[in-house]
Amino acid sequence: MSEQTTPKEEILETPEIDEMSTVERCLTFQSGDLILYISTRHVIEIINNYSITNLPLVPPYIKGFINLRGQVLPVVDIQMRMGKSETESGNETCIIVLDIDSVSLGIIVDSVRQVIDIDLKNVRPIPLKRQQTLLDGMVTMEDGSVFMSVDCQALAKAQY
Amino acid sequence: MDNGMEGMLDTYLFETNSLLDQLDEMLVKDEKIGDFSSDDVNEIFRIMHTIKGSSAMMEFGSLASIAHHIEDLFFYIRDKGIDSLDPEHKKELFNLMFRSEDSLRGQVEKVENGEALDTDMDSFAAEINQFLKKISGAASEETGGAASQTGGGQESAPDSLTPAENLPADDKAICYLHVFLDEGIGMENLRAFMIINSMKECEVDFRYYPSDMDSNPDTCAVIIEEGFYLSFDNAEMAAKAEDLLKSQGHIRSYELIMAPEPEPEAPKSTDAKSSSAGTTPAPAPERKETPQKAPAGTPVKQNLISVNLTKLNDLMDIVGEIVITESMVTSCPELDQLNRDSYDNFMKSARQLRKLTDDLQDLAMSLRMVPISGVFQKMNRIVRDMKQKLGKDVRLTLIGEDTEVDKTIVDSIQDPIMHMVRNSMDHGIEDTADERIAVGKNPQGEIVLSATHTSNEVIISIADDGKGMNPDKILAKAREKGLLVKPENEYTKKEALGLIMLPGFSTNQTVTEFSGRGVGMDVVKKNVESVGGVVSLTSEEGQGTTFSIKIPLTLSIMDGMKVTVGRSIFTIPIANIRQSFKITADEIIYDENGNEMVERIGGFYPIVRLHQFYNIDTEVTHLEEGILIWVETSDHSFCLFVDDLIGEQQVVVKPFPAFLNCFELKNYGIGGCSILGDGNICIILDIPSLHTATLEGF
Repeated sequence: MSEQTTPKEEILETPEIDEMSTVERCLTFQSGDLILYISTRHVIEIINNYSITNLPLVPPYIKGFINLRGQVLPVVDIQMRMGKSETESGNETCIIVLDIDSVSLGIIVDSVRQVIDIDLKNVRPIPLKRQQTLLDGMVTMEDGSVFMSVDCQALAKAQY
Repeated sequence: MDNGMEGMLDTYLFETNSLLDQLDEMLVKDEKIGDFSSDDVNEIFRIMHTIKGSSAMMEFGSLASIAHHIEDLFFYIRDKGIDSLDPEHKKELFNLMFRSEDSLRGQVEKVENGEALDTDMDSFAAEINQFLKKISGAASEETGGAASQTGGGQESAPDSLTPAENLPADDKAICYLHVFLDEGIGMENLRAFMIINSMKECEVDFRYYPSDMDSNPDTCAVIIEEGFYLSFDNAEMAAKAEDLLKSQGHIRSYELIMAPEPEPEAPKSTDAKSSSAGTTPAPAPERKETPQKAPAGTPVKQNLISVNLTKLNDLMDIVGEIVITESMVTSCPELDQLNRDSYDNFMKSARQLRKLTDDLQDLAMSLRMVPISGVFQKMNRIVRDMKQKLGKDVRLTLIGEDTEVDKTIVDSIQDPIMHMVRNSMDHGIEDTADERIAVGKNPQGEIVLSATHTSNEVIISIADDGKGMNPDKILAKAREKGLLVKPENEYTKKEALGLIMLPGFSTNQTVTEFSGRGVGMDVVKKNVESVGGVVSLTSEEGQGTTFSIKIPLTLSIMDGMKVTVGRSIFTIPIANIRQSFKITADEIIYDENGNEMVERIGGFYPIVRLHQFYNIDTEVTHLEEGILIWVETSDHSFCLFVDDLIGEQQVVVKPFPAFLNCFELKNYGIGGCSILGDGNICIILDIPSLHTATLEGF
């Protein structure tokens, strides 16, 4: 039995090692009823104690600034960015600080879940492409739950 | 290029540039006296030697070659004493030196820009050689053959490489190879010995110095500093050895030196040598000019280190954070739960901490400050060059060179100052000395460049005692160019003079090499304004013109008035605020569109409600409940309506996050943001753009 399983594992593992680039470590988080993920390459830190200063003249999804150890960081409510209602502040609400091609910003999310490895080969496009402004892919996990990928470039580009 | 190389290049550029600056300073100073001091001759020699060495190391051939020729020239001058040159030659020497400096700078600039260097430096080098020949010829005539004693080998000084070295005594030798090893290879004496052994194996006949290098570890230091010598009885052997040397590792450079006859100019060292001739030559403990690797600057310079500017910026950021964090800690609400004694103890330590952080902040701030003398010194050079080209006799007086300004400001005001000095030289000072004598002035014109501090501003002024400006002429010229916006007779003198700073205005009919083509003063104005400064000028016809530039001390710190609108805090630059006051309902005046205005000191000013413009919820919506702040910019004046004043505070201006760039908030009166002592963020208003956004649309 064991002799049969060993070569099987090898076959499974070899492509993974060869094509490491298709596997990304991603941070998953909850926003409304969606579970989203974003590559850890972009994640700087997670903070949960903050006070936001409002900024006039910007779309409502930009909540304002926070003072991140002397750096002024704009904060986006990711739920409002997707055209939904405001993220309700709760115990687990926190800000994920991102750096996307040297544009720094924070996103408000309901809660942070965990860091997982996602094989990019398994990511499928979202069928209703035209309705999506912020999400650019979805992936089904082993336990059957579906995670959605955040389009970082779209996120980093503020728009009205 | 890998990192190490890049670091080396940085160091090289920094070093070479500061040496050239030093040279420039020295030349300008010496030219004023009309003579080189012997210290300066030595200094120039050392500078050139260093530039030559480091350029050769970096493989910048053209730089090394120019520096090398000048080094030769100054070796000769140093040897003969500067006094052997007649005044005519000295003058020529100054011109030659300024030109060499320029060509060195030209090459360095190319290195900086990553361009290819000029490969053909021969013509310039030939010029230097010619000059050397000329002065050496002249010197031999004067001193009656004193120069001829230097012997045939010495006469062709430019051909032999550096005859400056302190050669070991060797009667029979006709030529030497002077070999330098790579830096930092360790055990230099043994390596040198290994090289020598391997050469001996190839049947080359020579002697070497220091001869005890294999047994005496002390020679190690000597070899690092001064290299080692191989001496040859005939040129063939030397040539053979030279070939062999090329194949050896760890050799930084070597030079072929012809053996000189005893030099009468340096009897001391020659004596010392001949007395020790035959015995082991002592490894030169004499006062010889050791070719130094480090920039042989004045002792003061040894206390300076160069730091990357980004590191300083990072330091500033961290200090800012510390200050803010400190006030967060000391104002922590949980402290109230402490009992009285421990609270007192805590506050005692907190006060100590506050003092230290304040000191730290001041210190960090001062690190970025550099004296303005660097910029001023460059003006010396410009005045000198223009003096010659324009044939005007002008002296430049510098006042307050030690004034310190933020590094970024120094960089951005250099061009404006240069432009204004040129303008003063070209247009300000009278064309001929006769003109000046006719109006009873000193025939020599004067330009005074001065810098002074006030508490938060630097004032730089450029004053000439030339012919001054005629407001009528300026007005006429402006009319010709169609720059007038109101009837000519309504212009005050100040306004008329201000016209020269409009784009497209130039009082000079012809374009000259120095003063531009009417793109001048408006560019100056723009540059100065970009660092938050203002330019003004006064001029009396016949007496001269003074330009003044006022610039805030640092760009990053600003005096501001904090105001509230709803829950938001805004900071208005104090410089823009004229007055703040409360009004009653009957003081408000409405125009036909219902726009609100208020009368202050004989003028009517529109009211801008900040809460309306920025759409902020607030309970204070009646004008009599809040406060009006009368603000003004250079050309506009209006009133802002806010809820309340909080107080005055110095704020550190932070750049706006890049993420928000697309909203162009700068066009809507939001100039930047700042972090307050309690960690909150406030928005800094930009009054000129606020005016444009709120009032000019109507």
